[in-house]
Amino acid sequence: MTATHTPPHIRMSNEIAVQFRNRDPAWAAEQIAAHIHSFWDPRMRARLLADVTADDDRLDPLIVAAAALLPPARANG
Amino acid sequence: MTEVTVYVPRDSAARSVGADQVAERIAAAAGPRARVVRNGSRGLLWLEPLVEVETPAGRVAYGPVTPDDVEDLLDAGLLDGAGHRLCLGPTEEIAWLRDQTRVTFARVGVIDPLSPDDYTAHGGLAGLRRALSLAPEQVVAEVTDSGLRGRGGAGFPAGIKWKTVLGAESDLKFVCCNADEGDSGTFADRMLMEGDPFTLIEGMAIAAWATGASEGYIYIRSEYPDAVATMRAAIDAAYARGWLGKRVLDQDFTFDLFVRVGGGAYICGEETSMLESLEGKRGTVRAKPPIPALEGLFGRPTVVNNVLTLGSVPMIMADGAEAFAGLGVGRSRGTQVFQLGGNIARGGIVETAFGITLGELVEGYGGGTRSGRPVRAVQVGGPLGAYLPTSRFDLPMDYEAFAAAGAMVGHGGVVVFDDTVDMAGQARFAMEFCAAESCGKCTPCRIGAVRGVEVIDRIVAGENRSANLKVLNDLCHLMTEGSLCAMGGLTPMPVRSALTHFPGDFGATSEEERR
Amino acid sequence: MTLIKEQDYGTPARSGEATVSVEIDGKTVLVPEGTSVMRAAAECGIDIPKLCATDNLEPFGSCRLCLVDIDGRKGSPASCTTPVADGMKVRTQTPELAELRRGVMELYISDHPLDCLTCPANGGCELQDMAGVVGLREVRYGFDGENHLDLPTDSTNPYFDFDASKCIACSRCVRACGEVQGTFALTIEGRGFDSKVAAGAGGTFMESECVSCGACVQACPTSTLQERSVVQLGMPTRSVITTCAYCGVGCSFKAELRGDEVVRMVPYKDGKANEGHSCVKGRFAFGYASHPDRQLKPMVRERITDPWREVEWEEAIGYVGSRMLDIQARHGAGAIGGISSSRCTNEEVYVVQKMVRAAFGNNNVDTCARVCHSPTGYGLKQTYGTSAGTQDFKSVDKADVILIIGANPTDAHPVFGSRIKRRLRQGAKLIVADPRKIDLVRSPHIQAEHHLPVRPGTNVALINAMSHVVVTEGLVDREFVEERCEDFAEWERFISAPEHSPEAVESITGIPAAELRAATRLYASARNATIMYGLGVTEHSQGSTMVMGMANLAMATGNIGREGVGVNPLRGQNNVQGSCDMGSFPHELPGYRHVSDEVVRGTFETLWGRVLDPEPGLRIPNMFDAAIDGTFRGLFVQGEDIVQSDPNTQHVTAALSSMELVVVQDLFLNETSKYAHVFLPGTSFLEKNGTFTNAERRINRVRPVMAPRTGKHEWEIVCEIAQAMGYPMKYDDSAQIMDEIAFTTPTFSGVSFAKLDQVGSVQWPCNDAAPEGTPIMHIDGFVRGRGRFVQTDYVPTQERSTRKFPLILTTGRILSQYNVGAQTRRTGNSAWHPEDMLEMHPHDAEVRGIRDGDTVALASRVGETTLRVKIAERMPVGVVYTTFHHPVTGANVVTTENSDWATNCPEYKVTAVQVSLKHPTPAAAVVR
Repeated sequence: MTATHTPPHIRMSNEIAVQFRNRDPAWAAEQIAAHIHSFWDPRMRARLLADVTADDDRLDPLIVAAAALLPPARANG
Repeated sequence: MTEVTVYVPRDSAARSVGADQVAERIAAAAGPRARVVRNGSRGLLWLEPLVEVETPAGRVAYGPVTPDDVEDLLDAGLLDGAGHRLCLGPTEEIAWLRDQTRVTFARVGVIDPLSPDDYTAHGGLAGLRRALSLAPEQVVAEVTDSGLRGRGGAGFPAGIKWKTVLGAESDLKFVCCNADEGDSGTFADRMLMEGDPFTLIEGMAIAAWATGASEGYIYIRSEYPDAVATMRAAIDAAYARGWLGKRVLDQDFTFDLFVRVGGGAYICGEETSMLESLEGKRGTVRAKPPIPALEGLFGRPTVVNNVLTLGSVPMIMADGAEAFAGLGVGRSRGTQVFQLGGNIARGGIVETAFGITLGELVEGYGGGTRSGRPVRAVQVGGPLGAYLPTSRFDLPMDYEAFAAAGAMVGHGGVVVFDDTVDMAGQARFAMEFCAAESCGKCTPCRIGAVRGVEVIDRIVAGENRSANLKVLNDLCHLMTEGSLCAMGGLTPMPVRSALTHFPGDFGATSEEERR
Repeated sequence: MTLIKEQDYGTPARSGEATVSVEIDGKTVLVPEGTSVMRAAAECGIDIPKLCATDNLEPFGSCRLCLVDIDGRKGSPASCTTPVADGMKVRTQTPELAELRRGVMELYISDHPLDCLTCPANGGCELQDMAGVVGLREVRYGFDGENHLDLPTDSTNPYFDFDASKCIACSRCVRACGEVQGTFALTIEGRGFDSKVAAGAGGTFMESECVSCGACVQACPTSTLQERSVVQLGMPTRSVITTCAYCGVGCSFKAELRGDEVVRMVPYKDGKANEGHSCVKGRFAFGYASHPDRQLKPMVRERITDPWREVEWEEAIGYVGSRMLDIQARHGAGAIGGISSSRCTNEEVYVVQKMVRAAFGNNNVDTCARVCHSPTGYGLKQTYGTSAGTQDFKSVDKADVILIIGANPTDAHPVFGSRIKRRLRQGAKLIVADPRKIDLVRSPHIQAEHHLPVRPGTNVALINAMSHVVVTEGLVDREFVEERCEDFAEWERFISAPEHSPEAVESITGIPAAELRAATRLYASARNATIMYGLGVTEHSQGSTMVMGMANLAMATGNIGREGVGVNPLRGQNNVQGSCDMGSFPHELPGYRHVSDEVVRGTFETLWGRVLDPEPGLRIPNMFDAAIDGTFRGLFVQGEDIVQSDPNTQHVTAALSSMELVVVQDLFLNETSKYAHVFLPGTSFLEKNGTFTNAERRINRVRPVMAPRTGKHEWEIVCEIAQAMGYPMKYDDSAQIMDEIAFTTPTFSGVSFAKLDQVGSVQWPCNDAAPEGTPIMHIDGFVRGRGRFVQTDYVPTQERSTRKFPLILTTGRILSQYNVGAQTRRTGNSAWHPEDMLEMHPHDAEVRGIRDGDTVALASRVGETTLRVKIAERMPVGVVYTTFHHPVTGANVVTTENSDWATNCPEYKVTAVQVSLKHPTPAAAVVR
């Protein structure tokens, strides 16, 4: 682990995004949002949403688009 | 000056008594006057090396010729077929040969074994050509009608076996020739392969056509290096002539043929062991069923026939079933290539129709013992065949007649013993042979043969004779009835025949003998 | 409570449709065509004496005891090798036959030691039995003839002896090694009376190719091949039928005991997964259950630096309950969670997820399947609608082409590996896609048609190229696709793109395009083609994509929904399937139903009396991340050594070190318990009462042979923790837990212990629609309705070889050891694999100056470890391989945090590494 390590939720969300890179962006955002909603613990979603709000430039644009489709999440699991 | 053709056999029996040196001496001494052809042996083995000279009046024979005789012979006019103390007159008129009916061996000793032209000039390929003009079913029918039975020993009708293979559904079928000629006193397979290999190739090609096979194997024992070399050379020549491979004789028929060399086990002469060995495994007997005709080599339908069986097929196809079936007696049709050996004055090949008596073979052709002493016993059919006393010389050579006498024709080997033979020792040897050569798979053969030797030793030593005779008898019964294959099943045959015909050799009292 | 002896019919059953009628000793019996006379007789209750025949081997005909009399047949044919014919009349008992049989037996005994009373097989010896049956009274040959009584005993195998003096040369061992196991390590050497069993080329068993599967020992009718435990302890007196707790094959065994002591484990013939076969682990490696290392009492400590303190159960459970509640009070309901184990029974797993959901009040439950087959669950659910393999094992007997991807069955699933080998020997064709030349690529009597040495991490490119060939070469099963699938047209367009062609991906996968095309044609044009895969598929950053890619390929070629086809995960552990079925995933309730489904949640809420969280919980790697973040502080770990088995060890230990309470429930103290505050002793499979579900969805019973040595069943411990946390959770026995599973989970509704005890085993779904279970899925349609084609882009892993880390490390399992080795290392199995070795291609070794046996440093960007090198031609250049069975190796010190995009299954199979020479010292110095 290096000090400059990417936070796990950013790394994981970007890994999801890259799988959908060649799909229609609107469809992809929908799929990604559904995936994250289905599989992610709310506290991870909350962090992601927070980073999106904070315009973290490490986030894939598809994730930013998907985040807009996610319901708000409670921060503490 | 015209070149005279001189024949000096290349057969390994002839070579073993100096044929190579004789051939070299003739070539060296006669120079351009003579063309030396290395033919097969005519089968008069006591006369080997038998040298023949081609004369305008036919071939004239001389023998047995030693290398030291060569100069003298040439001086005497060998190349003109002149008289000499070794001159036997015209070959075809030697009574021993003249009286035979050479069918399978018709070309052996006559032609250059590796000359395809010689082969076709002497009627070769006529059988295959005719077969290819017929449907496979018709060929099978012809072979069935000829009455040809397996010459390896079992005497199973070849046509029926072929019909089974023909009827079996498979994208790959095989023809396997059993040339693991391991029986004592037999050498006909070897002599055919060394003397007329194309006949075997032709016979196998016919079998392949008749059964829908596309691949063949000749399984030759390692003790036959000359036969292996000759067969391989002949196969190469046959490929070169288009007699093998794709489009055999320009017909829509593919047949590939290979030679495989055995590893030195007698049991690999048993057909299923041979198949195991061909597959690269230990030579052990397979239980039947399944029969090889349905599940043989690599599990595919397979014709397994002996050299002589397959070697008889070209003639049957060339001359028609009737010609062959017209020879012989009872259900034993055609000719058999008998081999005379052991303590015999005139050993060699006697091909003649079934039905000749044992006495005619041994006393007539064979001329009694080589030692000059009276014949005491004859073993027919290899090491597992019965010992017969001279009182049974009336037996006709016929599968059924022999079976009824508790004996077997087998592969046609006849081994002669004079009156010095110890028949208890011969009986013991039968068990010893079985113990040494058993594949070890089934219990009666694996353990029984060893116990058989021990029991015979006890009998001969006079230990609990009557009890041990009962044990031996029970053991013989068990081996006969219980063994997996003919190896264990037939081992009691020489033992029992020795006991029956020569009880005195086992230390029997006169009272026991009378019983 | 007696010793179970399955009936031996002498020869295998035949499956021909035609039946023939045969009369045996006056009884008429109808049997399938091809059945032997011996078997037909056995089926009507007539036992014909036999020694060389046994019904898992083809008839051989060597002993000659089974001779019979048949009307119209010459002589006395052997009943084992003679098939019945219609109308045949057979007599099995005549004075003549009796004499022949006595004669055979007399020969046998003339070459056999006369030590029956002191022989370990006394009472369990077929030779002895047959001597009695045939009425042998004397051996007239005496005992001083030639014999084999002086032949030596080979005791080199850790588990069994080979006493050649007792051998009757029936070849059953040799045939079992070939026909059943498919190893061909044994042969008969010599001829005639000298014939004797030999291992390999005449050396010892241990020097030979023997894999110690035990088939030969089981086949031996005498005491020639005998378990040493029988020699030492004596013949067992009772049997309990149970299920092996090693791999996902789920073999049925008879545990054979004297009192409570297990004498031996014998594979159970009626076990549907193994049909009487076994491997070295299940057959012999059970000694760990009684190993002195077993911790049998609970232990507690305040800090992980404190020494352990043994306590009573009450204190330990009370401590766990109060600390968990305390953490929740301070950090919220979601601050604790649990991990269930695929080593445990369905019932034990079910109660863990119930404890987490109902007592902890969250969904922070995950299972070790996370790190092995979670992509299988995801991928097959997305495409087919069920998170499970499509076939039963038996199905492979009908396959014409077998495609194995990223699996090594002969090592990791040996009993199924033997079944595959048997099918291949019958003529099925094999395609292997694996970086290594695994044994199946070429072994005795087997050779793969195609070995596709796929570069680690490029599976998706491979499978896409195969589908590309199918689509562009007209190999699609249009009828199947149109009738049964959806989204095909879009997928066809996607996959037809030139970027997916074999030629285009050749430089990515390293597989020659022509070879890939040929392999694809073979697969696609087979009558029945099946895919088998393992962790070489799932443990990748694109594991889920690959599973869907394979599902696409099978659908496009119509290879779904009948015998001989399908997509089949080879599950790593005994109950991976079951632990997933039981709702161990944080997003799914039992039966793979999402926690957000209100109807499903309602069922459980009503039954459990608690409101359930509708949001998914933390997955294992998320737990570690959350622990480091401080939002996750209490963890219950059931039977899994996460420190040794999970990737990136430093990250795992950092997470555990930052937690307030780590509870480990296990057989042994392990790497994880070093970070634990409470140790709760678990039970071995010999003490468990429950069920395991194997890779073919088969629910097998696990029956206890003894009471829990710890005094408590594992499910009881979990229930008591829940109670200590104020949640009433109580069962009278584990059968009640299964009843609850059946009540709540539609795919299990027909399952109960009573049913399993009655029918042996069932494959789920087992319910009103399929009361006898479901061997093959998707027969009339996909579970999800239509099979869905999913577009599977190839996205390379971020783990790349670099100048600093130029090699790719991939990991796997070896036959004799099992996963983290907690069990197998505590058995004689270490004789075969005393340490993990790094396999390396000669070229890669040469350029680094490394020779066979040298000790090397293995480093990745996250860590470094030390191990010895084995130079191996079967490795491709640029790829190294190791196992992770020994903690000292620390293979996971070097593996990274990369994981499958959909499931977070770690990417164990791809790590960029460097290898450098450390000591050129030979073996002796290495720590065992």
